[in-house]
Amino acid sequence: MDKKSGGLLRCRLGTAADRLILLLLLGAVCLFVLWPMACILLRSLGDGEGGFSLAAYTEVWQRYRGNLWNSVFVGVLSSLLCTLFSTAAAIFIATRKGWVKAVCMALLLITMVSPPFVSSLAYIQLYGRRGWITYRLLGLSWDPYNCWGVIWMQSISFVPLNALLLIGILTKLDTGSLQAARDLGAKPAAILRDIVLPLMGPGILVSLLLSFIRSLADYGTPVIIGGRFSTIASEIYLQLVGYSDLEKSSAMNMFLLLPAIAAFFLYRYLMGRSDKLAEGSRSRQGRLELSLSRCGAAGIIIIAVSLLFFLMMVLQYGCIFLSGFLKSTKGVYSFTLRNWEELWRLDTATMVRSVVYALIVSLAGTLFAMLFAYYMERRKVPFHSFFDCLATLPYMLPGTCFGIGYILAFNHEPLKLTGTAVIVLANMLFKQLPTATKICSASLTQVPLALERSARDLGGGQLAVLRDVILPSLRPAFLSCFVYNFSSSMTTAGAIIFLINPGKKLAVFKLFDAVYTGDYAVASLIASVIIVIVLAVEGLAYLITWKGGKRRVS
Amino acid sequence: MYLELSHLKKSFGEKTVVRDLSLSLERGELLCILGSSGCGKTTTLNMIGGFLAPDGGRVLLDGEDITAIPPERRPVTTVFQSYGLFPHMTVLQNVLYGLKFQRIRRGEAREKGLRYLDMVGLSDYAGAYIHEISGGQQQRVALARALIVEPKLCLLDEPFSNLDAALRTRMRQELKTLQRELGMTMVFVTHDQEEALILADRMAIMEEGRLVQYDSPLAIYHHPANAFVADFLGLEDLEWRRDGALLKVIRRDTKEEA
Repeated sequence: MDKKSGGLLRCRLGTAADRLILLLLLGAVCLFVLWPMACILLRSLGDGEGGFSLAAYTEVWQRYRGNLWNSVFVGVLSSLLCTLFSTAAAIFIATRKGWVKAVCMALLLITMVSPPFVSSLAYIQLYGRRGWITYRLLGLSWDPYNCWGVIWMQSISFVPLNALLLIGILTKLDTGSLQAARDLGAKPAAILRDIVLPLMGPGILVSLLLSFIRSLADYGTPVIIGGRFSTIASEIYLQLVGYSDLEKSSAMNMFLLLPAIAAFFLYRYLMGRSDKLAEGSRSRQGRLELSLSRCGAAGIIIIAVSLLFFLMMVLQYGCIFLSGFLKSTKGVYSFTLRNWEELWRLDTATMVRSVVYALIVSLAGTLFAMLFAYYMERRKVPFHSFFDCLATLPYMLPGTCFGIGYILAFNHEPLKLTGTAVIVLANMLFKQLPTATKICSASLTQVPLALERSARDLGGGQLAVLRDVILPSLRPAFLSCFVYNFSSSMTTAGAIIFLINPGKKLAVFKLFDAVYTGDYAVASLIASVIIVIVLAVEGLAYLITWKGGKRRVS
Repeated sequence: MYLELSHLKKSFGEKTVVRDLSLSLERGELLCILGSSGCGKTTTLNMIGGFLAPDGGRVLLDGEDITAIPPERRPVTTVFQSYGLFPHMTVLQNVLYGLKFQRIRRGEAREKGLRYLDMVGLSDYAGAYIHEISGGQQQRVALARALIVEPKLCLLDEPFSNLDAALRTRMRQELKTLQRELGMTMVFVTHDQEEALILADRMAIMEEGRLVQYDSPLAIYHHPANAFVADFLGLEDLEWRRDGALLKVIRRDTKEEA
């Protein structure tokens, strides 16, 4: 009798805990995603004294219309150029094999784990007033600080993400279709035009969309190499850091927020269509068998554009890794460790703090994403699609929006978080939640429903299912999720710059400072250190799971 | 002889997949290559289609040596096991694709496409996309797409293996009728003994890369070359249709079950 009621009690407790976890997850998403967005809207409509006013909007429209047009101009050109580079690089890599493919993939992966501003930093050092190429090699004297530099750099730095997305689509391509086309008389050029490019279509549109939004949101590049040229994002940065004008920057942010939200829904639709195309074919997947050199003009353009891109990547990273260890006396370079010692003396604490923050976000974020993915995929959650949408939204949100939203939402009681580490950590976690959740959901769909049912059938409650079935089977996802969270936390600047406590800087912030003030050697060194740390931690994570896996087997 | 394979050889690394294979086929006949998985039948088909280059031997078609001609210029088309349909095109666009590379006017091509769709019973689905039609319908699209270019030879690689039993039986009859009407020469690869016996004018049985027996189905039925063929076919009895065609094969194991 006692035993029975004990079991019943435990069951009730389990159900209560299950509900509590779900409530906490949904509450957190509302508080840290929806509420900050609402705050921007409310603040932009306020007159500063609690009333309603459109004054901020009219002022932005009148005074900053030029910036708006600049943003659109740069956004359109950058996304077109970037998509050209990404598509060419993706097709190039997908049709290679052996060491060429390995080297190109390695280059893309290094750029994925590099901090922001690296391209701008390399741009100044390679093509600037005293640039290695423009000044020392070609003897040119020109002003590199203009909108073309911004467009060029944005296009280059958005490529890796897009290219990896497109390579993903190309590897899912049904090789049977390609073989059939060839069998029916299609030459390589026709296969590229009729089969490969149309099937990449939705992916190419997504690449355009992502680059456009990222270009709109990017304030770092125009601030560093824009010179007098400024966009709406760089103006927000100045308004916020320089004048702390929250009404005006909120109103300006609405001009970024609305296109971003529109783009987000378009993005979801396009990704759905791309999945449908892949699903419609009976997939036989393999390497893309296509001889680019026999593809006519299109093939030659693809090869030329990708070689140009990879050459620039090599130059860029060569420049970054080298210039941390060079000193220039009267135009003659020599090797030095002085920058290195200085960095070691001054900034060890910053580096350690960055790594600690990144580790906390990685662990907490991964756990959050796993739980969230489980409730969204497997359980009936009220307003399911609303919450799913809300959690994915930060993927598209410009850093300035997400930053200002947090300042507005959490700078007064009862939730005064500004200046603390919590606001920085929460911001990173929720910015990375969309991708982390996606990784976990993909892994969850591999877990058969029968496993869950048998656990319940044998007497386990919802909590037992979660503890004994779901979390253990997400072990492989844990690694990818952890690695993603860690590298993003170490390398994203976006919103963090607005939230950080001046006394507790992070490495990306120091990097931005160093680039902005022209301390290029230190900046290069910080960038190199970040890249090395991220690669090392990722390597270690793989090693640990690999060893762990081996122990379990033996 | 219309199609002639002479001394074809192919190995992948250490493993020899096809050893010294020779056979010939008359115009308008249907050849079934029958064997269990891994016997080299698909490799043979790929060498005829041009997707694999043989290590030795020649492929002759209509008096021409086509061994070195790449698939896009070979007058041979294939119905792939996985169909290889283009997911971003409609049924009609799929069927018309091969005509793009022949000098045919657009209107004329369209008319021809509709005629072939009618032939495989898909007139109502011309505008549908591939993911909107069933597996059996996809199979017919693949067939129409391969036949419309009027190849000298059509290859079929286990085309019915993705269909359920009832549909497979129906598709067999349809394919045989279509092949007779068009007078199309076909090479059909399968591991299904019944399918081979019903469809084939000539039957080639392969084992471990070797051609074990090559003859008409009835001759093989009455005089299996060796114990392997007899056992592999496992025949007990045949049932005939009134017009003299083979209706059903009764195998030893199926009879025991019944």
